[in-house]
Amino acid sequence: MDAFEQQVRAAMELAEQDVDDTDIAIMRVADEVYGSQVRALLAEDLHDVKPELDFDPSRAPTS
Amino acid sequence: MSHPQDLSLRAQADAVRSGELDAGELLDATLARFEERNGDLNAVVATFPEQSRRMLDEAPDGPLRGVPVGIKDEFSIPWRAPRNGSSIDAIPAGESAVFRRLRDAGAVVAGVTQMHFWGAGTTGHVSAYGPVGNPWDPTRCAGGSSGGSASAVGGRMLGAAVGADGGGSVRLPAAYCGVTGLKLTNNVVPRDGHVHAHSALGAFGPLCRDAADARLFGSALLARDLTAGDGSGLRVGVVRDPFWDDIDPSVEKACRDALDAAGWDVEEISLEGAEHSLIATVVIITVEALPEFSDEDLAAADPLSRALIKYERMMPAEALARAMRVRSQLRRAVASAFETYDAIAWPTVPAVAPPIENPTVERPSGPSPAEPANVGQAGLGNLTGIPGINVPVGFNEDGMPIGLMLQAAWNREELLLDAAEHIEQATGRRHVDAEPPIAAPAG
Repeated sequence: MDAFEQQVRAAMELAEQDVDDTDIAIMRVADEVYGSQVRALLAEDLHDVKPELDFDPSRAPTS
Repeated sequence: MSHPQDLSLRAQADAVRSGELDAGELLDATLARFEERNGDLNAVVATFPEQSRRMLDEAPDGPLRGVPVGIKDEFSIPWRAPRNGSSIDAIPAGESAVFRRLRDAGAVVAGVTQMHFWGAGTTGHVSAYGPVGNPWDPTRCAGGSSGGSASAVGGRMLGAAVGADGGGSVRLPAAYCGVTGLKLTNNVVPRDGHVHAHSALGAFGPLCRDAADARLFGSALLARDLTAGDGSGLRVGVVRDPFWDDIDPSVEKACRDALDAAGWDVEEISLEGAEHSLIATVVIITVEALPEFSDEDLAAADPLSRALIKYERMMPAEALARAMRVRSQLRRAVASAFETYDAIAWPTVPAVAPPIENPTVERPSGPSPAEPANVGQAGLGNLTGIPGINVPVGFNEDGMPIGLMLQAAWNREELLLDAAEHIEQATGRRHVDAEPPIAAPAG
């Protein structure tokens, strides 16, 4: 059992969710597609990117 | 007269208004065409002739009076609950805002159009009702999630159908099926009665054969006139990185040729944060939907969707907070770009519609699942809220459609329609007027 499968099984057990080999296989493919991009997002320096104070997707940002 | 569904939406509306075409006969002919073509396309999941005829009888004298249209299986209508591509009702039946807008314009809802399961995909090959076929080759994906709307319009079953776009779901199937798909600015149409009303990324929009039809149908959805203007002389920003990278050469060439034909002032620009637009879209759209899923939903889901929900439940919370920062970063970046440029442009999809049996697209870097490839092109529009349009601009060597995406500042739908009409004229309308094989006369 590799680190990915260990993580998935432990997380699902803590969440009291069932997980089987089919789930793990599909989740592994998803992680191969998106995992590196999630990690890149988590590593990005966004300190200077401030949240919008009055977010409204129907118009341009005002802050 | 040819079959009335071979007419454009506006020609149908004009013919009904002038009395040249009886609206009852138009509805009957439309339902007959469903019978004729839906076996190949699987684009329409429900019809209800009695309710449609009642809607026709009660239709007000609006711009779409007596014209049959389709509505995606994400919107409530008074006599049917939307199923969201699944086998169970997602929310109750009722009058969604989109239904009210169509009814008030005089339109007749003739059918509910297919969609990708839960709206959670851009290929349309996963659904409780089976895969949606592409009118240009029914063995290929129609796209998603509004694949049924795109296929029905492309297959000349309807002149217009409503779609919804949370991660490209109007623009992407429009590109696959060779039709015009306009994603409206986020939140400008009320969201009540929509399955994904919780989504900050979602927007609605028309799928039609060309920009003039999209102008008519979009005006009905917005309840305001999208007046026509001049689409020449625009300043257009081309965002090469990452949106023109790793694009199928035939797609890139057709999009370049269309921009050249338009004769616009085109410059290469960059947008800060664009490299994270795919993952920011995926994180927000999936995590914000998680509370919507009940145990019953999960039990009814296919193994793929069920496993993906479990994967999404493991997403680090910080990723969502960071994705929302990226959204703000991108909104500021496009607002700045629109101070100089009228529109930004890149290919709607990186490669044409893949086979239903294997929804993998070939990119210069190698094969890729269609899903991330498509959302990577479309997500910026959902994150920022800006309107966008797919303009049919060509066909590849297999005869599959190619689309160019144009996006403009918030609430500038008119400009996008003007630009699309300008491209149509500059390319002799040969892409919007082309008939798919399913529409060709037999023999």
